[in-house]
Amino acid sequence: MDTLTLALLATLSPLPAFFVALVLLNNRPSMAQAVAIFGTALALLGSVGLLLQGPTEPLRFAWFSSGQIHLQFGFLLDGMSLMFGVAVALITLCVMIYSLGYMAADPGRARYFAMLSLFAWAMLSFVYAVDLLQSFIFWELVGLASFFLIGFWYEKPEASAAARKAFLMTRIGDVGLFIGILMILPLTNNFDLPALLDPDTGLVKLAGPALSTITLLIFMGIVGKSAQFPLHTWLPDAMEGPTPVSALLHSATMVAAGVYLMARLHPLFMAAPDTLHIVLAVAAFTALLSATIAMVATDIKKVLAYSSISQLGFMLMGLAAGSLFAGVFHLITHAVFKALLFLCSGVYIHHFATNDMREIGRRGGRSLGATTLGLAIGAGALAGLPPLAGFFSKEEIFAALGHEGSTLFYIAALIAAFLTAYYTARMFFLIALPDEVVKEHHDDSHHGSPQPIVMLAPIALLAIGAVGLGFFGAAIAAQLGLVPAHHEIASMLPAVGVVILGMALAYFDYGRTAAPRRGFIAAVPALHALFVNKWYIDEFYRAVFVRLNDALSALFFAIESRFFDDGFDQVGHSAIRAGSGASRLQNGWVQFYAGATMFFVGLAALYIGLR
Amino acid sequence: MTLESYLALGLALFSLGLVAALSQRNLIAVLIGIELMMNAASLNFMAFNRYVVEDPAVGQVFVLIIIGLAAAEVAIFLSIILRLYRQRREIDSEHITTLKG
Amino acid sequence: MPILSSILLVPILTLCLLLLMPARAVSAIRWLCALSGLAASALSLKLFFAYDSLAGGLQFSEHVSWVEGVGISYHVAADGFGTVLILLNSLVYFTGVLTMWDLGHRVKEYFVFMVLLVIGVYGVFMSQDLFFLFFFYEIAVVPMYPLILVWGSGNKDYAAMKLMVFLLAGSALLFPGLLAIYHEAGMQTFDMVALATHSFDAEFQVFCYPFIYLGFGVLAGMFPFHGWSPTGHVAAPSAVSMLHAGVLMKLGAFGVLAVGMRLLPAGAVYWAPTFSVLAAIGIIYGAFVAMRQSDFKFVIGFSSVSHMGVVLLGLNLATLGKAGADALNGAVFQMFAHGVMTALFFSTVGFIYDRAHSKTLADFGGLGSQMPRAVSLFIIAGLCGAGLPGLASFWPELLVFLAALETYPIIGVAIIGGLVLTAVYILRVFALAFYGPPNPRWEGLRTQDMRGMQLLPRAILVAVLVFFGFYPNAMLNTINQTTAALLGRF
Repeated sequence: MDTLTLALLATLSPLPAFFVALVLLNNRPSMAQAVAIFGTALALLGSVGLLLQGPTEPLRFAWFSSGQIHLQFGFLLDGMSLMFGVAVALITLCVMIYSLGYMAADPGRARYFAMLSLFAWAMLSFVYAVDLLQSFIFWELVGLASFFLIGFWYEKPEASAAARKAFLMTRIGDVGLFIGILMILPLTNNFDLPALLDPDTGLVKLAGPALSTITLLIFMGIVGKSAQFPLHTWLPDAMEGPTPVSALLHSATMVAAGVYLMARLHPLFMAAPDTLHIVLAVAAFTALLSATIAMVATDIKKVLAYSSISQLGFMLMGLAAGSLFAGVFHLITHAVFKALLFLCSGVYIHHFATNDMREIGRRGGRSLGATTLGLAIGAGALAGLPPLAGFFSKEEIFAALGHEGSTLFYIAALIAAFLTAYYTARMFFLIALPDEVVKEHHDDSHHGSPQPIVMLAPIALLAIGAVGLGFFGAAIAAQLGLVPAHHEIASMLPAVGVVILGMALAYFDYGRTAAPRRGFIAAVPALHALFVNKWYIDEFYRAVFVRLNDALSALFFAIESRFFDDGFDQVGHSAIRAGSGASRLQNGWVQFYAGATMFFVGLAALYIGLR
Repeated sequence: MTLESYLALGLALFSLGLVAALSQRNLIAVLIGIELMMNAASLNFMAFNRYVVEDPAVGQVFVLIIIGLAAAEVAIFLSIILRLYRQRREIDSEHITTLKG
Repeated sequence: MPILSSILLVPILTLCLLLLMPARAVSAIRWLCALSGLAASALSLKLFFAYDSLAGGLQFSEHVSWVEGVGISYHVAADGFGTVLILLNSLVYFTGVLTMWDLGHRVKEYFVFMVLLVIGVYGVFMSQDLFFLFFFYEIAVVPMYPLILVWGSGNKDYAAMKLMVFLLAGSALLFPGLLAIYHEAGMQTFDMVALATHSFDAEFQVFCYPFIYLGFGVLAGMFPFHGWSPTGHVAAPSAVSMLHAGVLMKLGAFGVLAVGMRLLPAGAVYWAPTFSVLAAIGIIYGAFVAMRQSDFKFVIGFSSVSHMGVVLLGLNLATLGKAGADALNGAVFQMFAHGVMTALFFSTVGFIYDRAHSKTLADFGGLGSQMPRAVSLFIIAGLCGAGLPGLASFWPELLVFLAALETYPIIGVAIIGGLVLTAVYILRVFALAFYGPPNPRWEGLRTQDMRGMQLLPRAILVAVLVFFGFYPNAMLNTINQTTAALLGRF
């Protein structure tokens, strides 16, 4: 097949599935599922086909022209988009298959699968977009799918609030992104990515404050989408959505869109050192902040959510430290092992109907052997245990940070890695090594098997990826057109050291038989309280921004009703009053009229006489 | 006798009538005041007729019309006053203000 | 058969037939109006495709002298803007008739007034003669009064009176302005094409432009004279709100464009900074006020103030700076997109109101599971209002924002930031009325969700929004040349 057909197949095929599942098959969930899975499978086929064909020239079509602006849409088929496209399609398909089991009992699953298809379409179109504005459009549509999926159980007030929060927080970032993109236009008159990035004629030449401003504004959008501080608070709340959605959108793919965008525009960022410093600082702070919160969380999905935020911070650090490969590599491995972790947690949640890790452990989480094995692999990869995937990609980031020569950020990353190892191991120990196991008699008849094959197969596939993907670093670098640096064993030691240290500490706190089962941080109650309360950031926002917004809208509302409404009413009333005042002259007394007439006639006579 | 003296008499007559028409509250008195004013106008017509105009018929025609008008007016006015009196048992102009705004 | 006159004749014939029909032939009246809407839509589509977008300019011109002594003639023609807006009017007319299909109270009279309004709107969009423009303008405005007073709801006496007072005050400013143009030109003609060749004295333009801008601006819901519009929206029956917000408010903006900017370019340039600031305030202001409303229709009403602010801002920015073409394209595109979007809003809210007899947000809650289809349609309209890409409103906002950012960076940043405010009030409606646990009071509505024919008008509107959301060139190609020609005057 030719490239265009494949590209269309890869991006467009979930779209009809979305429409059919939502509009035509809303009352026939099983058919809707089939259609959605078929659509995504076609997309996977298309994206694999594209990957096999290898990078080619971008395809472009005229789209939009107004004044001096002529925009094109099309497909950018370089190594980065080809790889990420396959990853997205594959994980989406895995999650859809998994959802067959997870959502089997939900009456609204036609809508669920439709929205997943919407997401697949938007995300894949985003990945292959050749035009920055096209990227922005699908970036927003991905956010829309996220909004609907977080609020999938919209009858739950928490889910509705979480969806709203996600939409608003990302919107704040998107305002920055939008301004940044629009600022590019007068400089170039188009948004064509290869043209913008061209080292000779592109924006890179601009350098200086203008480029710094533009990249900073774009970074604002990335902060929103990839849930970095200070806009990160929507992502933990987004866990109100169904677990497969959390796996797909809120850890593996959609939140990584920010990182992907930065990777796409990497040359621009590299030409703006001021921005890079800010990116590094924000990302490092976010990685630490969210790791500390994950350390004390008890809800398994919250732990994973904060770890996603933290890992996204890692990716951005890698990119900001100048290594495109480090960022993209970690992006791909993280997508795989984090999806794996979420899918595993979904099995527990589905079976035990609780998100609390202690509760899951106590009620026999480890009895679900295959899932627990998957969890172990995922946790190992997340912690960065060699030779799992996460180890290799994190190693690249450390190398980049070490190479970049900024000790501060290197140390920050080490601490974050230590905390990651700690909370990941803690999660595993809480589930797999509880102090006591309460035997329960499960009535499995209505639940079916706790680990149906449709749920285990994706887990197995992703687990294989989490184990093996690390060894494909060279191939991935080759796709990006880069040669990975060779690392000395000695340079890896600190990173491996902190990982082992973190896991050991977790074992000491939670794993061993006589473990206290409380974190070491509990020794400092003030810090513990700070972490448990998520650094009081939500409270701060509520106290300041929400209240400010309320106050402003109250003010404007008062102006509207008091000043404009009442004011214009007053104008009307005063006209009426003036009328009734004037009508008082009309007193009905004939002689008054006659007198007035004579008076004015007299005046007129006087005037004529004097002239 | 000059034209001025006729006009002065007319003015006096008219002023008396005006004062009566505006100040009296009894509608009959008002009617008398109006009649006085009309007669002043007639007097003026005749005076001008005598001293200014060539053809004496013009002024006389006007005066005749005024007299006719006055007669008709009195008839209507009195009948209205009568109706009012039957309804309200008074003919005080200050109290007859049904048409006020 | 000249196409513009036939478009105008369709509703006129409908009106004559309606007047002859017995009032009890309700079903025949509905069908007649629906067919007339369909015919008008078909003709407008034909016009849309027949318009030669490469040539641009005024096309399909028809000229008949009427009162030669003062130079009044029936002169109709369509440029790119007119073509697009005529299509919009047909669309809203057709879907509006279908929306009012279930009306039971004084059906004949209702449609008589509605068709009268439609005639006026068509007339304004195609008139090239100042006299006829004003004449049709008044025809379009006046039927609003009985429509709200008789078929409205809530505080309808107040709303109808307020609307009338505001709009006639606008006309009172407008009429002397138009006469002054006629007088000043001294050409003894009301023909705008002829008047456009006259270059008016700059001082006169500066003096006269505010009359035209404010006079038409009142109808476009310009801040601070917007008060009539939300009140009117709320009290009016659904299809009237559709026409009112969807088309009537566009008359104002179109008037500014076709009379003010075309005939008085120097005045437009002089006043643009002032009116830009007012329009930008309107955008932000409308969004903030919408955030606190407790009534569906008030939220939409103030969102209209905000969105029409984008149109007015675009018109003013068009006269300044180098991104003028984008600003003007954006303004006209926004007229169309906003028209379709509010039509969908009111059509859907009307549907819910007709069944629940409430449009207070707090009364609902969890309506999403009880009337999923109606709610989905509202959500689509809401997302369009929030400027989501993929729906028509995104493009005009993009263009106007772009121009604002280039001309007045501070205004640009402020109104792009306003996107967050828009999202806040739209999401608030979703959260209050549609999400959350279902309210047992509305369980009865489960069986009354939209179906069959009721879906048709709304589906058409959604299709239009999505089509232009993904293929903006369909719009821009039509208006690009006209935009360029108008900008040539500055």
